[in-house]
Amino acid sequence: MDIPFDLTISDEDIYAAMKNIPGYLDITTGDFKELYRLTYRHAVKRIAQSVKAADIMTEEVVTAKRGTPLKEVAKVMAEQGVSGVPVIEEDKKVAGVISEKDFLSRMDGKTGKTFMGVVAKCLKGKACVAIPIRAKKAEDIMTSPAITVKEDSTLRDIADLFKERKINRVPVVDVNGCLIGIVSREDIIESPLLRDMS
Amino acid sequence: MNMLEEYLNKIKGTTKSPPMVSLSEIGLSWIGAFLGIAAVAYINYNRLAETDLVMIIGSFGASAVLIYGAIKSPLAQPRNLIGGHVFSAVIGVVCYQWLNPNMWLASSVAVATAIAFMHATKTLHPPGGATALIAVIGSEKIHDLGYLYAIVPVGLGALIMLVVAIIVNNIPKSRRYPEFWF
Repeated sequence: MDIPFDLTISDEDIYAAMKNIPGYLDITTGDFKELYRLTYRHAVKRIAQSVKAADIMTEEVVTAKRGTPLKEVAKVMAEQGVSGVPVIEEDKKVAGVISEKDFLSRMDGKTGKTFMGVVAKCLKGKACVAIPIRAKKAEDIMTSPAITVKEDSTLRDIADLFKERKINRVPVVDVNGCLIGIVSREDIIESPLLRDMS
Repeated sequence: MNMLEEYLNKIKGTTKSPPMVSLSEIGLSWIGAFLGIAAVAYINYNRLAETDLVMIIGSFGASAVLIYGAIKSPLAQPRNLIGGHVFSAVIGVVCYQWLNPNMWLASSVAVATAIAFMHATKTLHPPGGATALIAVIGSEKIHDLGYLYAIVPVGLGALIMLVVAIIVNNIPKSRRYPEFWF
């Protein structure tokens, strides 16, 4: 991991800083630069491990129930501007997750799970491609079982999970498996670690 | 060819020398070194002159550079000052007693082993190398001390200089000593 451009330091910076410190420093600017580079790497690793899901999650989660009709799920997602919602049981346990991808894949089986595939089909015919799923409920298209994280999962682990499972959000559950929040890619970007750097 | 180029490039250096210290720092270094060396030199010349003992050796001048002139350096900390001197003194005496009259070998083995031992014990203190060497190339008076050399003058002298460093280096607002003890 290299130091981001706006955090790089020059020999002149170090030289000027050394002048600010009274007394002889038994160190060269080269030594300091090397130390700084390695220290930065360790600090990022440490902070990524110290920031937990509970620190960055959004607590007010837009959710759906198993029996919520898809037209309502779609409406809520559109209104709230979210690209995915957890589907929860009566006891708040997470049953699954519905994302835009789940909608797209059911709307148009043949041309693939992409937004442009749906647009292409819409432009070709008159019928709305969403018709096949009009009568369905949340539980019919949700991805289940849901991938979840614990409230003490680290930022590092969550970021790795997003990358490995190609997902954009993950519900956060407590020890009983009940939903307490959600971490999205946006939450990671807005996390204190990155905010302090910019 | 590439290896040679890489090798020659290393000799060029990569950076410039550190900035000069302030005038007050120069003055404080002078005062500290004056008092530290005065203490051991006074005992040596005015108290031990009639005895077989000595209290000052050349390597104390080098220690003064560190503990009064570069007090933040890890090399100048109490662990390094005392450990470096005492370990090196013992190694120097061992080398002299086992390897003399083969003086070139006794000298080189003493210094090299002292450095290795100081590294291994995290007590690296450059004047320790001189302390080991003095045990071999020193006067008859030094040789006659035997292993006592490691205690007086080396251990006790270093301790006196350390006490002076702790007292003197903590008087100015801009200074603090030590950075660590062990």
